[in-house]
Amino acid sequence: MAAADSPSAALRRRDLCSRGIRLAGKMRVDVIDLLDAYVERQGLDVSSLDSSVAAVEGVPLAAVERWDEQTGTQRLLENLAAYRAFRALLAQMLEEQREQLGEADAGLGRALASVLLQVSAFAYHLEELLRLESRGVPGEEEEEEGEEEEDRPPPPPRLSIFEQKLRGLGVLRELAQWAVRSARDLRQLSKPSPATGTASGLAESP
Amino acid sequence: MFSRWNWVACGFYLVLNICSPDASSGLVQSCGHIIPESPVLPLGSNFTALCILNESCLDFGNIYANQIIWKIKNRVVPKEQYHEVNKTVSSVTFNDTSSLATPLTCNIVADGQIEQNIYGITVTVGLPPEKPKNLSCIVHQVSRLTYHMTCTWDPGRHTYLDTQFRLRYSWPEDIFPDCIPKDVNNSCTVHDVHFFVNTEIWVEAANALGKAESDPLVLDPVDIVKPLPPQNVSVMSTVLPTVLALSWENWISHTVIKLKFNIRYRIVGDRNWMEVPSEDTASQRTSFSVQGLRPYTEYVFSIRCMKEDGVGYWSDWSEEKTGITTEDIPSKGPPIWRIIDTSHSPASWIVHLLWKALKPFEANGVILQYEVTVRDKSSLSSSLKKYNVTSTNHTLQLPNATYEVTVIARNSAGASPPSALLIPASYSKAPVKNLRTLPKHDKLWVGWTAPNSYVVKYVIEWCLVSSCSDCIIEWQIAPGDVQGIDLKGIKPFKCYLITVYPLYADGQGSGQSVKAYLKQDRPSKGPIVQTKKVGKAEAVLTWNHLTVDEQNGFIRNYTIIYKTIDGNETVVTVDPSKTEYTLSPLTSDTLYTVRMMASTDNGSRSGPDFTFTTQKFGKGEIEAIVVPVCLAFLLIVLLGVLFCFNKRDLIKKHIWPIVPDPSKSNIAQWSPQVPAKHNFNSKDQMYPEGSFTDVSVVEIEADDKKSFSEQDLKPFDLLKKEKSTSEGHSSGIGGSSCMSSPRQSVSDSDEGETTQNTSSTVQYSTVVLNGYRDQTPVQVFSRSESTQPLLDSEERSEDHAGGADSAAQRQQYFRQNGGQDETNTDRPCFERAKQITHANEGDLVGFVQLQISGQSSQPLGLGMEKNTQEAALSNVLQTSTEGQTVRPETVEENRLSVDEMPKSYLPQTVRQGGYMPQ
Repeated sequence: MAAADSPSAALRRRDLCSRGIRLAGKMRVDVIDLLDAYVERQGLDVSSLDSSVAAVEGVPLAAVERWDEQTGTQRLLENLAAYRAFRALLAQMLEEQREQLGEADAGLGRALASVLLQVSAFAYHLEELLRLESRGVPGEEEEEEGEEEEDRPPPPPRLSIFEQKLRGLGVLRELAQWAVRSARDLRQLSKPSPATGTASGLAESP
Repeated sequence: MFSRWNWVACGFYLVLNICSPDASSGLVQSCGHIIPESPVLPLGSNFTALCILNESCLDFGNIYANQIIWKIKNRVVPKEQYHEVNKTVSSVTFNDTSSLATPLTCNIVADGQIEQNIYGITVTVGLPPEKPKNLSCIVHQVSRLTYHMTCTWDPGRHTYLDTQFRLRYSWPEDIFPDCIPKDVNNSCTVHDVHFFVNTEIWVEAANALGKAESDPLVLDPVDIVKPLPPQNVSVMSTVLPTVLALSWENWISHTVIKLKFNIRYRIVGDRNWMEVPSEDTASQRTSFSVQGLRPYTEYVFSIRCMKEDGVGYWSDWSEEKTGITTEDIPSKGPPIWRIIDTSHSPASWIVHLLWKALKPFEANGVILQYEVTVRDKSSLSSSLKKYNVTSTNHTLQLPNATYEVTVIARNSAGASPPSALLIPASYSKAPVKNLRTLPKHDKLWVGWTAPNSYVVKYVIEWCLVSSCSDCIIEWQIAPGDVQGIDLKGIKPFKCYLITVYPLYADGQGSGQSVKAYLKQDRPSKGPIVQTKKVGKAEAVLTWNHLTVDEQNGFIRNYTIIYKTIDGNETVVTVDPSKTEYTLSPLTSDTLYTVRMMASTDNGSRSGPDFTFTTQKFGKGEIEAIVVPVCLAFLLIVLLGVLFCFNKRDLIKKHIWPIVPDPSKSNIAQWSPQVPAKHNFNSKDQMYPEGSFTDVSVVEIEADDKKSFSEQDLKPFDLLKKEKSTSEGHSSGIGGSSCMSSPRQSVSDSDEGETTQNTSSTVQYSTVVLNGYRDQTPVQVFSRSESTQPLLDSEERSEDHAGGADSAAQRQQYFRQNGGQDETNTDRPCFERAKQITHANEGDLVGFVQLQISGQSSQPLGLGMEKNTQEAALSNVLQTSTEGQTVRPETVEENRLSVDEMPKSYLPQTVRQGGYMPQ
């Protein structure tokens, strides 16, 4: 709390929000470009696959009800969870893409790596903001362990190549939506709202 | 003996050690080694090396540490730097490594002073890297999604060692691969740049002596972006003639980076750029309308961009695109002026209307035509005439009157306001005053003092004055409130005639003119001088003015420089308006060299030298000398003639002594056979042919005219013939029956040089007396002073004896004298004979007879026409076959009388007043 009240912390917070908003914007642009390249390179027919692309497992949905009622911390935590999931999924996609195409399509690999870096950077922004909120950053292992303790999911089945492609398509689509939501979340956080926002958010946060 | 073999073995062992490429690990062990092995040392530090000998060598070759010599390259290190640690270890210390070089060797001097190398090391000296400074980075946009970050830094001093630089950058949780520069040590380009995350960037430099890092640079790469310039810029004209619409595409999505822009533009051909105010383009956009442009003008546009917040770098300028604004109506009417030619007719003018094409920014489009209106303001009807002209001039013939002329320029957008010019019937208004010029660099300023009345505008006319071409008038209009303008395009060294007209609202003032030069130079040539008239003490020089093209400026004066051959030079300055000058006083009969120089304000130029010589005598001097001399001479001659005339008797006595004339001798009077004196008309009668063959008569004529009778003529002819045939007898007696010079006598005798010479040198040399008939002639030679002609009776007698040749010659002689006027020397004689013939009609008969004897019938014709008696005679002659035998009766009578003469008297010379018998 003390950190959140200091002027430097407020400045830092505003800077992080501003930068995060622009990073989210760029990430969305890059992801959309990547989506086009991905569909083309993977030989996917987007129009016929719309119904086949299911929600990506392990990633919170960007669309949420009563979005405006969420607290700041809640927003940050949801974002952090989503981008950590994206980071893992994109890393897996990158690995699979290298296995499938090798160095034949280095451009797609570079684009994937670039998006992965941006996701990673955005996650860093979120962690910093959470730190500024005097809120501990949940560890990735902790989350996983916690989840594991509560409801250990069965190990993911080995997917076929086509399924990998479909999952990749779903990851990128969801990431594009999350980029939009994240920008809105950070814009909401950067508003010089009364202390209620932060305080209440923090208070309400689990 | 043992010792000797021992040393030989030792030497062989050492050689093996040295020659072995890898002594330590090879077959043969080294005798020692150096510590440290190949060190890298900081420059300037101290350094100690140890040479450690092996124990085996000690035993075998008696080698100890005190025998060790250190060398740098081939230079022995001073012993002072050595230290014998023990009997197998020697150390060497260097206080400053800068004195070190490679290799550093450990050597030993064995017995016999044989120096052998034990070991060597390579010493590397250098510096540790400095901390890189001035790290800076820029992110270049390479394509729509690709950005390259290039960082540069100052690598610091040279280390003399292989130093690695690497650019490192990291996020708080991620470290990216290092960027290792290639070929350079002060910059590196990162190809994987991510925006919106603070990135820490630093440079690390490392070599064998150390490592150094620059201060880290923490930044968001998006803040150092230099974007690509906008692409696909297009310029479109709009309906507004002052607006052009620009559009372009940006390389960066506005969702990533918002941009701001700069738009610059310029008129084609102009180098100066104008810029759209930056606040108008400070936001993200892809189009812009540029306003405030000139109609119908082509503009060039270029755009650049940078991050909207101004953090980062401006992009390069985009490629230039051009666009042209639409046309607008001309903003003003064309300036108008006129040139009036009044020489055509006194009652009417030829008016050349001139107007200038509008400047592009005034025309606002393509001028399609000019509409000229001429209104006669003098007449009440105020007639109006319109002309549509596409050129910028129009010529009209108008009666003398006051006119108002208007010109309108028209383009596709419309017509310009009219420009008007009043052409008055007379220039009744006041002209400008004090017209003057002043050169200003490459312009000529023309100034004037305004008249008292209000002037609407001034028209300045000027033209280049040249002798080669006509004065082509240029003109310019100046507003009425100025009193001077600059004329452009004026050439230096050329004469310009400048005229200023004031234009009033209701009239026009007469023009005031001035000649001017923008810049003057000395004349291009000097005047050619020559003399018009040269006298004894003066000379009039003339020259022609230099042409205006040769003057190069205002001729201020002429300078005449003249000098004599001995160098006395005189300089005269002459007014430039003159073309003649009299040099005076000059020395008579002297060669002068004269040169003429024309001067402008900026120098002079001389013409060619001209020389002339003054006369020896002045005008009338020669006449004054010659006329008196001539008069004196004439007077002397006249006096001499008068003197001679008065003293003629005395002179004659000295020149021509008196020679007695035998024919006038008194003895003839007493001879009974001699006819009466008064009947003695001719020698033919007196001495018929053939009767004097033996008598030579010298007839010496006095001043009596009577002696020039036929008596003279006939014997002369005979004498001549005799000279031709019997030279021996004549013996140089030449002569003429005329009172001529001896030379005349010579020309009479065509043959016989001797005769001629003799006769020419001896006036009368010999009187030859042939013997009479059978008598032996007695030749008497006596010199005579007389110039009287000799008688030729004896030659004539020879002619008769000579034959036909003599006769033929005589015939020719008569034909020449009878047929035409010959320039023969005989002619005077013949004329004289004719005169005599005319004087005495009775002598004619005898003369005709002589012609007949020459066997010539042609001359006779003349004689027959005159006298029937002579015709009768000729008839008689034609019947005769031989002239010499048939003689007319009259001749016969004479012959008879002459035949009697030899019987009755002796040869004699007749001279009036005296006779000397011989």
